[in-house]
Amino acid sequence: MVRQENLKKIIGIPRAISYYNNYTFYYGFFKSLGIEIVLSDKTTTKLINEGSKYVVSDTCLPVKVFVGHVINLLNKGCNTVFVPSIQSTGYKINNCSKIRGLPEIIRNVINRPFKMIEPTLDKTEGFGIKEFCFETAHQLGIRDKKLINSAISSGREMYNRFLEMAKSGIPHGEAVENAVKGNYVLKKMSLVKPLSVVIMAHGYNLFDERISMNILNKLNKMNVKAYTCLDITRTDAINSIHELDEIQYWANELDLTGTAAYFMLNKKIDGIIALSAFGCGPDSLMVDEIQYHANERKIPMLHLNIDEHTGEAGFVTRLEAFTDMLERKKRKQLLQCNKPKNIEIAINKKQIQEPKVLTKVK
Amino acid sequence: MKAKISERQLNKYSKNMDNTISAKDRIIAWPRMGRIDIPLKALMLSLGAKIVIPPANSNEALELGVKNSIEGICLPYKLNLANYIMALEQGANTLMMFQAPGSCRLGNYTKMAQKTLKKMGYEFDMVIFDMYQSKMKQTLQAFWHVTRCINPFKYYKGFSLGFNKFFAIDEAQKLLFYTRPREIHKGDAEKCYNKWLNIIDNTNSISGAKALVKRIRKDFANIQINKNKYVPVVYLLGEFFVLLDPYVNQDIEKTLGESGIEVQRQIWFSEWLEGVLKPSFLNKKESHRQKCVRNARKYMKRAIGGESIETIGDAVYAAKNGVDGVIHILPFSCMPEIVSQNILNKVSKEEDIPILTLVLDEQTGKTGYITRIEAFVELVKRKKIMRNSEMKKKKEDLVNV
Ligand code: SF4
Ligand code: SF4
Repeated sequence: MVRQENLKKIIGIPRAISYYNNYTFYYGFFKSLGIEIVLSDKTTTKLINEGSKYVVSDTCLPVKVFVGHVINLLNKGCNTVFVPSIQSTGYKINNCSKIRGLPEIIRNVINRPFKMIEPTLDKTEGFGIKEFCFETAHQLGIRDKKLINSAISSGREMYNRFLEMAKSGIPHGEAVENAVKGNYVLKKMSLVKPLSVVIMAHGYNLFDERISMNILNKLNKMNVKAYTCLDITRTDAINSIHELDEIQYWANELDLTGTAAYFMLNKKIDGIIALSAFGCGPDSLMVDEIQYHANERKIPMLHLNIDEHTGEAGFVTRLEAFTDMLERKKRKQLLQCNKPKNIEIAINKKQIQEPKVLTKVK
Repeated sequence: MKAKISERQLNKYSKNMDNTISAKDRIIAWPRMGRIDIPLKALMLSLGAKIVIPPANSNEALELGVKNSIEGICLPYKLNLANYIMALEQGANTLMMFQAPGSCRLGNYTKMAQKTLKKMGYEFDMVIFDMYQSKMKQTLQAFWHVTRCINPFKYYKGFSLGFNKFFAIDEAQKLLFYTRPREIHKGDAEKCYNKWLNIIDNTNSISGAKALVKRIRKDFANIQINKNKYVPVVYLLGEFFVLLDPYVNQDIEKTLGESGIEVQRQIWFSEWLEGVLKPSFLNKKESHRQKCVRNARKYMKRAIGGESIETIGDAVYAAKNGVDGVIHILPFSCMPEIVSQNILNKVSKEEDIPILTLVLDEQTGKTGYITRIEAFVELVKRKKIMRNSEMKKKKEDLVNV
């Protein structure tokens, strides 16, 4: 009975902020509550410009993008929108004010009639995932305890499946798609790339192809392996932060310092890339923290700041300059260590890359 | 006020503390913000500590701070860092830091400042006053740690001097805000205020400190003022530090007061301190924060860190209570206040109250800033006159009917 009523219910999920980390969970949860999901379109320049109109110019890019997505959903005729407020993810481990206050911003900057589903996740105050989900369901008018509980577990299940796929090396977007479709694919082996870097960035910056200027793809093309927050577990991230004698201060810190710290300590990476949005408060602190440790370990680091006007060309130039530098450095290191007799080391870049280019052309 | 600290807590506490500097060699310093140096000085001296007070915030300090910190970090941090450097140069070896974790970036500052200073080659011990979870007990422990003072009477004296001075300073400032726009001889109010700051600073007895507030009120009442002048009232809201430090906000209160505006600030250090230190069961009346949460409800359903909900709550309260305008000040890139700024646009429209937002950063030129304030003052005054004539008309209409 309940299910049939709910079939008519629709919820709009903006493809921004918590979408990138949690969408698979939301999908499993809402689907098994019997609620139809409408997603906003992918981020475009037009959408960003639209969003920027509603907020003051000092607001950071991801929030502008979020507003753009909400507008996009409203334009599609969807008038129930999911805007969670993620206050803290552990005792006194708070999020940035803008993420905590997302519903507050949306409520006050968009003057159109629509219903906002705005649950709060605040572990400092004892509102965990379960409370978060119950609040969501209640706001949608669903009160069946059993149904909600089972929805939570199917959300979890889907989320775990997504994580497994992503960990095996499947790109974020594909992993989400497969999880949602119920597929389960794992990447078998991947080629070892000559260079590897770790990217520290919020999920909503890194996996949004427009915001990140598709950096993952670009690096892939440059034959550089990029590690991201999806490659490690939460515990690893937390432990690595502690190992550097730091503490987790921000809720979304694991994607940044946690990831960078882990690879800095445990894997031989050649460099660190920090990708952050212009006007972000927490990022400047986290990047500085990692920069400090990277300097101590002599690991090169590149800090890319993006805003709505960042041009593709300049972005690529900086990226290329950085990877070139890494390559030179690595080659020098290899030359310096005792060179085994039977291995030839390519002296210049062309020698390595040319064969590949040729095969591609053919 | 008891200064008993159980041994177990002590052990737990001093584990995180550096004990390399013995208590008698400690020279203590803390960051500058408004005039908090006066009460803190009284407190520390009563506990028998040696102190250094770095110069007040200035362009020079700002430059020093900017030079040694990363881009994108907030203004308060840069100034705090400069204060520390200056204090260390003057011989300080123990730095006090007040932090409220969980509220904002502030909680992250300490470690960063520590690292930066160590990198610059200074040797010191940093004592953190965790004002969030601490309340009275931990504050006492931190004071014990830096002074090793075990005489309860000294604590009693120090705290009562400190508290009374905090209240006296805030009272003097409130009266200054009220008197300045109404004074007949320009400059009287400020002269009186400065005189009292001096007296407050030099008061050394508990009874003397307790009597301060009354004496200040009496003295300000002697200043000649024009009681019938139309004085629009403007609320000053925003981030804690920029509100309380006259250098950072470029003495906006003076600029406004001199152009005939009564400034009312809603955030006071003494009240904040009371809220933090007093056990909650003693707080019977609704605190400022609770009041704000209540007033902000239409716009904001949850607190999001920093002073955002206070800003919104006070702005709504202002509009409902006939205040003529609101000036909202924030440091550049301040996260909670950017949220406020977004919300205030709507508050301004819906509650029909003029709101001016001023973003402060290192490059804020004073002139541009003043033109904006002047334009706003004109707007507020015009609005006030219009409102008054409307009211008059309404009254006349009633009489005519
Ligand atoms: S963490 Fe940074 S990018 Fe994310 S919402 Fe906050 S300020 Fe914006
Ligand atoms: S409230 Fe604003 S100025 Fe204060 S620490 Fe936070 S971001 Fe910085």
